[in-house]
Amino acid sequence: MRILRATRSGIVSLALLMFAGILFLTPATPARAQGAAADPAGTIARFGTDSYGDTEAALGALSVSGDPRASEIVEALRDGRLLFDPQTKAVFLRSPAGAVTDAATGAAVAAPPAGLRPVRMNNRVRRAVDAAAGALALVSPDPAKRLDAAAAVFKSRDAAALPALDAAIAKESDARVKTALAEARAVLIVGNPSVAEAERVAAARLIAARGDQEALAALSNLPADSPAAVKQAAAAGIESINSSLAMWAVAQNVWYGLSLGSVLLLAAIGLAITFGVMGVINMAHGEMVMIGAYTTFVVQEVIRTSAPFLFGWSLAIALPLAFLVTALVGILIERTVIRFLYGRPLETLLATWGISLILQQAVRSIFGPTNKEVGAPYWMSGSFDIGQMAITYNRLWIIVFALLVFFALLLVLKRTMLGLYVRAVTQNRRMAAAMGIRTGRIDALTFGFGSGIAGIAGVALSQIDNVSPNLGQGYIIDSFMVVVFGGVGNLWGTLVAAFGLGIANKLLEPFAGAVLGKIIILVLIILFIQKRPRGLFALKGRAVEA
Amino acid sequence: MEPVTQSLLYLDNVSVVFDGFRALNALSLTIDEAEMRAIIGPNGAGKTTMMDVITGKTRPTKGEAMFAGIHDLTKLDEAAIAQLGIGRKFQTPTVFDMHTVEDNLLLALKEDRRAFSNIYWRRTAREKERIEILLERIRMTDQRFRKAAELSHGQKQWLEIGMLLAQEPRLLLVDEPAAGMTDQETADTAELLRDIAKTQSVVVVEHDMQFVRDLDVKVTVLHEGSVLAEGSLDQVSANERVIEVYLGR
Amino acid sequence: MNGTGFIDRKGWFFIAIVLGAAVLVPVANLMVPEGSPLHVSDYLVPLLGKYLCYALLAVAVDLVWGYCGVLSLGHAAFFGLGGYAMGMYLMRQIGPRGVYGNPILPDFMVFLNYKELPWFWWGFDWFPFAFVMVLFVPGLLAFLFGWFAFRSRVTGVYLSIITQAMTYALMLAFFRNDMGFGGNNGLTDFKDILGFSISADGTRAALFAASALALAGGYVLCRALVTSKYGKVLVAVRDAESRTRFMGYRVENYKLLCWTLSAMLAGVAGALYVPQVGIINPGEFAPANSIEAVIWVAVGGRGTLVGAALGAVLVNAGKTWFTGLLPEAWLFALGALFVLVTLFLPRGVLGLWDTLAAKRAKPADTAVPAAKPAE
Repeated sequence: MRILRATRSGIVSLALLMFAGILFLTPATPARAQGAAADPAGTIARFGTDSYGDTEAALGALSVSGDPRASEIVEALRDGRLLFDPQTKAVFLRSPAGAVTDAATGAAVAAPPAGLRPVRMNNRVRRAVDAAAGALALVSPDPAKRLDAAAAVFKSRDAAALPALDAAIAKESDARVKTALAEARAVLIVGNPSVAEAERVAAARLIAARGDQEALAALSNLPADSPAAVKQAAAAGIESINSSLAMWAVAQNVWYGLSLGSVLLLAAIGLAITFGVMGVINMAHGEMVMIGAYTTFVVQEVIRTSAPFLFGWSLAIALPLAFLVTALVGILIERTVIRFLYGRPLETLLATWGISLILQQAVRSIFGPTNKEVGAPYWMSGSFDIGQMAITYNRLWIIVFALLVFFALLLVLKRTMLGLYVRAVTQNRRMAAAMGIRTGRIDALTFGFGSGIAGIAGVALSQIDNVSPNLGQGYIIDSFMVVVFGGVGNLWGTLVAAFGLGIANKLLEPFAGAVLGKIIILVLIILFIQKRPRGLFALKGRAVEA
Repeated sequence: MEPVTQSLLYLDNVSVVFDGFRALNALSLTIDEAEMRAIIGPNGAGKTTMMDVITGKTRPTKGEAMFAGIHDLTKLDEAAIAQLGIGRKFQTPTVFDMHTVEDNLLLALKEDRRAFSNIYWRRTAREKERIEILLERIRMTDQRFRKAAELSHGQKQWLEIGMLLAQEPRLLLVDEPAAGMTDQETADTAELLRDIAKTQSVVVVEHDMQFVRDLDVKVTVLHEGSVLAEGSLDQVSANERVIEVYLGR
Repeated sequence: MNGTGFIDRKGWFFIAIVLGAAVLVPVANLMVPEGSPLHVSDYLVPLLGKYLCYALLAVAVDLVWGYCGVLSLGHAAFFGLGGYAMGMYLMRQIGPRGVYGNPILPDFMVFLNYKELPWFWWGFDWFPFAFVMVLFVPGLLAFLFGWFAFRSRVTGVYLSIITQAMTYALMLAFFRNDMGFGGNNGLTDFKDILGFSISADGTRAALFAASALALAGGYVLCRALVTSKYGKVLVAVRDAESRTRFMGYRVENYKLLCWTLSAMLAGVAGALYVPQVGIINPGEFAPANSIEAVIWVAVGGRGTLVGAALGAVLVNAGKTWFTGLLPEAWLFALGALFVLVTLFLPRGVLGLWDTLAAKRAKPADTAVPAAKPAE
């Protein structure tokens, strides 16, 4: 780069002289264009002849010239902003904003001559423009652009890029980019019969080392008349790529499974309290999740209209609010309905089902039946790659969040007075009452707490699910399955069950399809519950009978 | 099959472990034909677990449990064991609340237990007669059309004993029959049990020492899942260890 | 039961009403001229027929819940399977009259590029076979499910939730196009049944009468069952399952028989329902439908059979009325019904009636002891 910068002034000062020279040049052939490489101004002047052949040759020369303004010129040509004067054959460049400069020197032209016409293109020229743009990107000062350009060559397998690639490799100093360039070069030579066999074999190995889908495509598209050694190397490469891809596919599915597991955990975790600890069959649990999601929607609406700068914090603001709203709804339900039904699980089931219908219809009446748009803050959008596996930020955060909620819950139950009272009341209600614990209040608080947890789950799930009045219904059966599968009253069981079911579901999907996979899981859980009615981590012995 | 033992009930080296807790610890016990035995012991001594093992509710972790010398109780389920002739009365009286006294006895009568044949069932004269006799024996003839839910606690205890008799078992397991009864009812119950023991074997679990004295039979003391002492009530009452763990000094 | 056989006064009353309706409604529809106040409109006949099918479903639910203590949240599965069996027969009856005119394959199969009829569709063009399947398919599913569930002693809420999962799994399965049951759209566009046009007034009246007969028959069957010694054992199982076991009854067999029979009744209800509403789709398997059937039973009075049928008709009539009047309010009303009935009417309308009647008879007497709550 330094060399380029140093020569810039030289180029500018020589420009005029060169300009005179090009007038005598005959229409170019590609071979002669190569020769003009050392003569940037001459190259640029060839655009002025308005001949497709000259334009193409000039592009070829420009792409390997190392001229820092080359990409600007190629871009202008592509966009129809490279102009020439039919009289003088002088070439000008008009910026997107409309300012006209001399194409060769970059000097501003205050009064451009009248009658300027854009340099014309045909399909051949357009291809050449693309190739030149690609080649120029290979030597762009920005390493990220060079990397992209190398990837583009790798993908296109366009043999014409080879000279540009060679030039770029010679100049490249960044190790990562150099590897990418070498891989791109390998793709171009592996199927090229004019390259030495040993080099082609080496190229095949280099491609195989990349190990992704595109490498696989490159190796699979080898010409049929390639030498045996090359074919063999390619076949070995294909095999190793396939097995590594299969491994990555499993890893990706495990990741999806973890993601699904975190969703299940979030949905089930509140239920693990209301059902697992208190033994209340709350069929309106899914609606608590739904109310949490709608709270997020309302918070975002308010922020959008009155304080848009807070949008990045919208989820953080929604969390405590969702907890409060759903906890209050939960306490209300407990005090008005559920407390009259303790010890009658089937009646509780029916009554809470009724409540779920009422809550759904209430939300439908207030917000309408359609899906509501809940936005993602910037830190929840986008994704990154680990090897062959794509990881989206929203899924990652939801996994982290689910685990945080889980451990917070463990802490509350094990380390706080509320947790102590809850355990006391659920284990021996009469004894707890005799010791002065107000059991009714603890019931209400516990139920409110479980509902509140469901509410904050709703905040997270609003990021990945449709926020509609039916949101909760999709979770209720799954949540019960997770809690029952993990063993009622066992929080760690819920954790293991959620992730276990999530991963099992996603690993089954490639073979069975999404719906059938879910059915298989459901059937397996049904069979499992019938074998071990108390779940994975059941308490044994007399305590169970109580 | 060759009988392994002459005893009606034969428990040998039976252990039950729940999550590391030994509810029964190498318990051995035999009950003879037409013998009545009282079992006492502090809470958690394993009395209920022992009954659970005998009736098939709990599978022993190890050990042998034989009935009439040929039936391996560890391999059978509750229904099969009940059909062999082992009847059980629970600590809290469990009768069928929504059925009449008469229907409670009818369901208990030793008859065909299969689902299909009971659809076509018609009451026979023999069944009628046996119900009459049972009602007489538990002194509830005048209560026969009342729903069991309406009975007093003591009446429910007696009804349950009547149901046990209706099953015509060879061995009766009776858990705290005198709990919640008046003194008179307790004495009557003891007499009823002694009467039953003339023809059938009875195992009584009881806390009430007066009641055990009334029964006047061999006593087995359980402690921490195994037999601590065995003998007459006076013998075991004099035993140092029994006094220490159960009766108190 | 004292001398009057196994059907009590309430029962005879119920049978008389149902059989009376079986005769009077068709007569009032076909013979009484339009405009007469006694005329039953063409719109009302299939609607009432639908109620009767729901009533039969409710009786089936009550048999297992009221008498055996098994709260099924999956009876919609049996209802739906019976409905699909009938739907398959009706599809085959369309013959070449479909949109694509294929004499063998139903339209949706032509659309989905089926080359031949899947094996599980064989025989459904023959009514007796379809009729047997209406009983057999729900019965088989119930038998297999119950065999596993009751043997491993899954009870109470756990059982309820896995019955719900069962119907949920079926719903997901039937939504799939490659299941061969028409996927999302289900089976519809029926033309005729047993050679009669399905939309003809006479056919509709006959279907109504058939539904009424099925309801009366189902009731008599259930009543015979619950008043037998078998039924007494069922109630014993409901109230004290382990006690029954310790008396030597194989509880799982008792439950299994009752459960399978109930599923078959639900299947019949579904089969009669489909030709009257003209469609069956996977939505019928929705868990919500099963739970709704439970609330019909609870409203009418659990463990009474007559009450279950009454509850089904009352709630569905309410639904028709409400959705016509205030569509938004129906779910509020239904939800409130769930809450209020469990809180204040544990014995349902019929139980309330009995209590009031007892009070009127002996004003000073203590109230009849309340029914033991579920579980």
